[in-house]
Formats: sequence, structure tokens, C-alpha cells
Amino acid sequence: MDHHHHKSQYRGDKGRPSKKPKFSSKDEYRGKFVEDDDAYYNEDTEDDYRDGEGEEKKRDFSKLELKPDHPNRPLWACADGRIFLETFSPLYKQAYDFLIAIAEPVCRPESMHEYNLTPHSLYAAVSVGLETETIISVLNKLSKTKLPREMIDFIHASTANYGKVKLVLKKNRYLVESPFPEVLKRLLQDEVISKARIATENSHGSDGFTISKAAGEIATGHDGLLNEAELAAAAEEKETHSFEIDPSQVENVKQRCLPNALNYPMLEEYDFRNDNVNPDLNMELKPHAQPRPYQEKSLSKMFGNGRARSGIIVLPCGAGKSLVGVSAACRIKKSCLCLATNAVSVDQWAFQFKLWSTIQDDHICRFTSDSKERFRGNAGVVVTTYNMVAFGGKRSEESEKIIEEIRNREWGLLLMDEVHVVPAHMFRKVISLTKSHCKLGLTATLVREDERITDLNFLIGPKLYEANWLDLVKGGFIANVQCAEVWCPMTKEFFAEYLKKENSKKKQALYVMNPNKFRACEFLIRFHEQQRGDKIIVFADNLFALTEYAMKLRKPMIYGATSHVERTKILQAFKCSREVNTIFLSKVGDNSIDIPEANVIIQISSHAGSRRQEAQRLGRILRAKGKLEDRMAGGKEEYNAFFYSLVSTDTQEMFYSTKRQQFLIDQGYSFKVITSLPPPDTGADLSYHRLDEQLALLSKVLSAGDDAVGLEQLEEDADDIALHKARRMAGSMSAMSGAHGMVYMEYSTGKKHGQGMNKSKPKDPSKRHYLFKRRYG
Amino acid sequence: MVNATKGLFISCDIPMAQFIINLNNSMPASQKFIIHILDNTHLFVQPHVTEMIRSAIAEFRDQNSYEKPS
Repeated sequence: MDHHHHKSQYRGDKGRPSKKPKFSSKDEYRGKFVEDDDAYYNEDTEDDYRDGEGEEKKRDFSKLELKPDHPNRPLWACADGRIFLETFSPLYKQAYDFLIAIAEPVCRPESMHEYNLTPHSLYAAVSVGLETETIISVLNKLSKTKLPREMIDFIHASTANYGKVKLVLKKNRYLVESPFPEVLKRLLQDEVISKARIATENSHGSDGFTISKAAGEIATGHDGLLNEAELAAAAEEKETHSFEIDPSQVENVKQRCLPNALNYPMLEEYDFRNDNVNPDLNMELKPHAQPRPYQEKSLSKMFGNGRARSGIIVLPCGAGKSLVGVSAACRIKKSCLCLATNAVSVDQWAFQFKLWSTIQDDHICRFTSDSKERFRGNAGVVVTTYNMVAFGGKRSEESEKIIEEIRNREWGLLLMDEVHVVPAHMFRKVISLTKSHCKLGLTATLVREDERITDLNFLIGPKLYEANWLDLVKGGFIANVQCAEVWCPMTKEFFAEYLKKENSKKKQALYVMNPNKFRACEFLIRFHEQQRGDKIIVFADNLFALTEYAMKLRKPMIYGATSHVERTKILQAFKCSREVNTIFLSKVGDNSIDIPEANVIIQISSHAGSRRQEAQRLGRILRAKGKLEDRMAGGKEEYNAFFYSLVSTDTQEMFYSTKRQQFLIDQGYSFKVITSLPPPDTGADLSYHRLDEQLALLSKVLSAGDDAVGLEQLEEDADDIALHKARRMAGSMSAMSGAHGMVYMEYSTGKKHGQGMNKSKPKDPSKRHYLFKRRYG
Repeated sequence: MVNATKGLFISCDIPMAQFIINLNNSMPASQKFIIHILDNTHLFVQPHVTEMIRSAIAEFRDQNSYEKPS
């Protein structure tokens, strides 16, 4: 299936030649072409992964046998593991719920979804309680064709061992549990595991395993897809066998069970109802907290069998992730450690807990560099940042005490926000430092499918649920966003400079400061402010551009060095004042500033090809506003949010822009291309109308230092860590992190943009972009 | 006396004209191919450079377009 129909059509309109795929030699392509190619690097790993071996051969499906009643069935299952779902089928909803549990969504446009069966997706399926035979039989029922042998074999092979072994914390003893005693015997043949075993007195049976009854899976809403016999089988009580292991050996035992060793990955579950060692926390959801259907569904995946499973829930920004997190905490009713990426989100989480639950104020506390609170009583909720917990250096005495408490406590729930941005090593650290019975990861964009996502699978757990963006839009749960790419031709003078070899370091500044782009931006701001009374955020990663635009248009701006006081003042004005309707933000606005009022985003410069950043920025305006009936198709305001990406044509920006959009396109969004803004015959009153103004701007760009025109680099949430700045400046954090653009450095040196931005560019010829290589030999 | 020069008349948009001019400037004197820059969107060049210009533009555009690997 071709995913970029949307785009190529628009390209066609303008008579642009369609391009051949040009990733044949990727290593060459990963050159030092860009200022910051790190993110770009990563994402290519995934592209590699999806690049098929022998795809061509696999695409001939003519041998698939159609069932006679195929029009009634909603999906096509192909031998290579790909599954296509017709969204117009009456069975769509059930089929979607099932597919999202067993397969990875690849692309979900309006009428046809593409999914992929992978070992990980099947691991996730097993861990939410689906059994091999159930997966095959339901898939067969839904498929228009006879299930290909290869697919059945693949499902068998992938699920043979998954879900057979569980790690359960019961009355604070770690038990390895399985319905199959022979599997436990196999595990115990391993030296590490047999050493970790603790012999128990009251064990029954010849193997010395403890035998108990556990309630089987109550079907989690695959309504009508399972026949009665299957339902009965699922609900039947099952006998489980178990042995106890030494708590200090848990990590090692888990390690031995991974696919690269014994290949019996352990599912982790928390039998919280029977945990009478850890004190209960008195908190309930308030009556007004009504989880929406998809929130309910994700929770049912987590609590399907009366225990709490560890795993990841994927919901778009603005769809109410925090209510899911708070609801989970309210069900478990034990102490909860909530981790966020920065201090602003810590405040938001604390607020959400108080908003949705009946938790008493003195049972919830925040632990950041600014507020070191402690809860009263023996159970409570602590909200803090990953950095605060994982930080390895010297802390203040007060922090040290709190962190000791966090380490020593047994947490019922470890709630982790934005799991996709946190580097794997930091996760390991946080997870090994804190003892928790159940881990829930939340994210909007599980974009990377490289080894870091695999890490998440085993560090936290499998993906439990992923919502479909377009379904949430249709249901009115998130805003219906009109996405547009505005093509701005370069002016003659700017393009001439852009092409000069000696300006290679200024390319970005030249295409961002392109007067035609500035005018398009000014036009859009005027239109949305004056015609629609909208609230607008303009994003620019390039500080030079941010400053120039904001000053020229006389709008407030916030970037890394803006003080907390000033930020608060600007945001307050944006929220309340009728005069302030547009603000300019640098990367700091991507995820750490909460601006629910905004409904228009204009992006004038961005971080190379980061699909995640694009999705996060869109997330800023996804929170649904206005009345539901107005927002439905055909209503007064079918589109009530707007996302513009301004791109200078014939420059590198075109490449990045298309790459950035891929994630959103895979979620079913389409970008409309706008080619002439401001419209012809208008715009005489906009800036840079006259050539002499444009030339003055050009000479300003050219005379700025190379360093001044680069990207802003920030590091989030300077905490105690700030005391040890020198160490951090060495770049260890960003080098190790998988988050690259997301790990920020805050500079106290305010106005000098140049500081810390001169990223060294190695002149290793093997890393040179292939174009330059060709030129220089 | 009237001098007739055989050449190629190119009509393009403003940025592409700049691209061709830049290409011409990067050539050694013996290989410069532009006979006349007529205006912002029209050039008069040596007749033998058609393919060279075409492929240079194709390569330039290729670098600026992202194709999702299928």
C-alpha cells in the first residue's frame, strides 16, 4: 500500500516529477548534511527495518483463497504477516479492537488500515490474555481469505513460549508462576534461576511447586468474536504452579528468561487485591471523572484478570492520558510513584490527581528542585521527574532524604509519562532503583521501532492498548485538525546566497528567513487573529529566526533562557488578554508548556526530520474545544484547529518537512498543500514587500555568525544536577540519551544565542553526504 | 554587422534560474555556458548543455525530496 498518496497528488498538481526512492545507499545518506543529524540517524534505523527483503516477491497475493462470504469479513491477511482492515466494514470496531491487540499498526488512513504481525505484537497479545488458538481462530473468522499457512506457523512460533511464565509479587514474595509445570522445570535447569529459587515449606506436588487456582481471563470485550466454548474455556479456573525466588535476584532471573536466552519472557502482574502488606491508599475516582470508552478499554486491558499488568498505553496528546493514569492508581489504591519529564508536567500531574481523584492534599506531594514536599501517613502519591530519581551525583541533604524514602518504599504503581522520550539507560536506572509491583507507561507517539522500543517491551511491558487517532477525532474526543504545508518560494536574492558553497552553514537561516515565508507567516497570523479570533502559537527552533520574527511582528516570545517569571507572565497574558493572541515559542514549547487555549500552530522552522516533534506539536492543539455538535462532520466548525508548516521550496527543508509528516500521515492525517500565500494582488501592507527591505534582511542573516543561526539546545529541568553543570556540559546526557532533541540544556547566559551551539562537525569524509562525496571524490 | 549565435532559450521560475546561474559560476571559464541572462526567468545558453542542466536539476531536486521507503 502506498502511504503518501496525499502528498504525491499535490506534487502532481504542480507538475513536479515524482521521485525515485533514494535510500539505496543509506550509509552514505546519513551524512553530516544537517546541523543536527542525530534524530535523523535514529529514525533511519527504523526505515532500514521496514525496508523489505524480497518485498517484491511477497506482494503477489493472487494465490490467496477467497472465502465464499468474503464481503462480510473485514480483513485481508497476507503470508508476510501484513493485515489490511477495511474500516467501512460493519465489523470494523470489533476487528479493530482485536487487531490492535495482536498486531502493530503501520498506517491508518480513513478507509483502509495496514497492520503488521510481529513477535512483539504477539507477545503483547498473549500478555493481555489472548491464547494462540484464540488468535488464530478469531483472525480466521475475520479474514476474507483462508489464513495462509505461513501466518499460522508464525503465530505458533511467536507465541509458543510467551505468556507461559509470570512473575508475580504476592504478599511481597516474588513468585515465578506457570500453568505448565514442565516449563518451570525447564527454567530451573538454568543455573542462575535455580540458585535464585527459595525453597518453601508448604509446597505440594512431586516437583515441589506450589499449586493454586487463579481466575482465568474474562474475555476483554472481543464481543461476539469468541464462541461460547471459547468463552467457557477462558473463564474456567486454571491451576497454576509456582516457585519463589530471591527478590535480589529478580533482575537476573528476568534477564535469563528473555528471548535471547531461555526464551520464556515473563509477564509481570500485581495481585493488588491480595496485597495486605502494603498499606492501602484511600483514593477513589470522583463521580465527575467519567472515563471515555477508549480510556475504559485501555484500563480493561490492564486490569483484565483482576490483577494489574505492567505495560504501555498509547493515546494521542489531548485524549486524556492523565485520567487513565489516575484511574489506574485509583484501582490499585496503593502508594504510587509518578514520573514525568519536567517540572511543569510534575505540576500538571499533581493537579490531575487532585482534579480526578478524592486523594487528600496531604497524601500527594511533588518532588522537584523547587518543591520538595513529603506526604503524611504511610501511603501516598509522589510526583517527580526521571532526572530527579536517576540522578547519580551529589544531592542536597533534603533531596537525599526524600530519594532514600522513594528507594526504600514498595510502590504499588510506577506511573511513567512520555515513555518514548526517556532514554533506555535512564529507565533501567529508575526501574532498578525503585521497587514497584506494577509499571504503567504512557505515551502519545511510540514512533521508534528500533531496539529502544524493544527495551521498553521488557523494561516496562508490552503495549497494552493503542487508540486510533481518526476514530477519536470522529468521536469528538480530540480536535479535528486541518494540516497544511505552505509552500513558500525562495526569493531570487535569498536563493542565490543559499546556493553558494561558502554559505553552507547558513542554509537553514536562509530558508527560514526567506522573506516569502515571513510574509506567509504574517498573513496567517493576521487572518487567524482578525477573521477568526484564534489563539496562535508560532514555533521556531532556530533562535535567530525566532527573535527576528517576534521582534518584527511585535509578539512575545519564550525560549530556553526566558525566566520562569517572564514565561508565566507571557502565558498568563496569552490566556487572558484579548490583546495577546500570538506567541512565539522555541523548542521549549514542544512539550513542557501547557497552553490549552491555542488552536492554531504555525511552524516556521523545525528540528530536521523528527516525526516525533511534529506529532508533539500537533498535540498542542488536539485538546477538543467548543461544542461537540459543532465539531462533527458537517457541523458549524468541522475544523477548529489548524496546523501550518511553512516550507521554503527548492531547499532541504522540503526533504525534512515530508519526513516529519510521516508519523501523522500514518495516523491517517493528510496535509493540504497551499502554494500561494499571501494570495496574489494582496500583501502590499505586509513586511518585506519592498526589495530594499528584503536586501537589508539578507545582509543581516549573512552577517550573523554561523553559530548564531543554528538550533537552540536546551536541557530540561535543571535540578540539583545544575550544581554540576560542567559535567553535564560535556554532553554525556545527550550522547547517551535516545531522546536527542528532547534532552534540553537550560542556559543562564540569556541573550547570547551563540553559547553552546557550536556543535563540532567532524570532517570525516566517510560521513560526508553523498553529494559532497561525489564532488570531492 | 549582425552576429548570429545559436543557443538554447530557457524559461523557468526564479529559483531555478538562480540555480543555473550558480551552476555556471561554479564552472571554469572555458566551460561557462550562459550566453545571456535575459531576465529573472529567462536565460540564453550554449546549445549543448541541455542534458547537463537537466541532470543537475534532477539531482538537486532529488536531494530535497523525501520518499518514504516502502
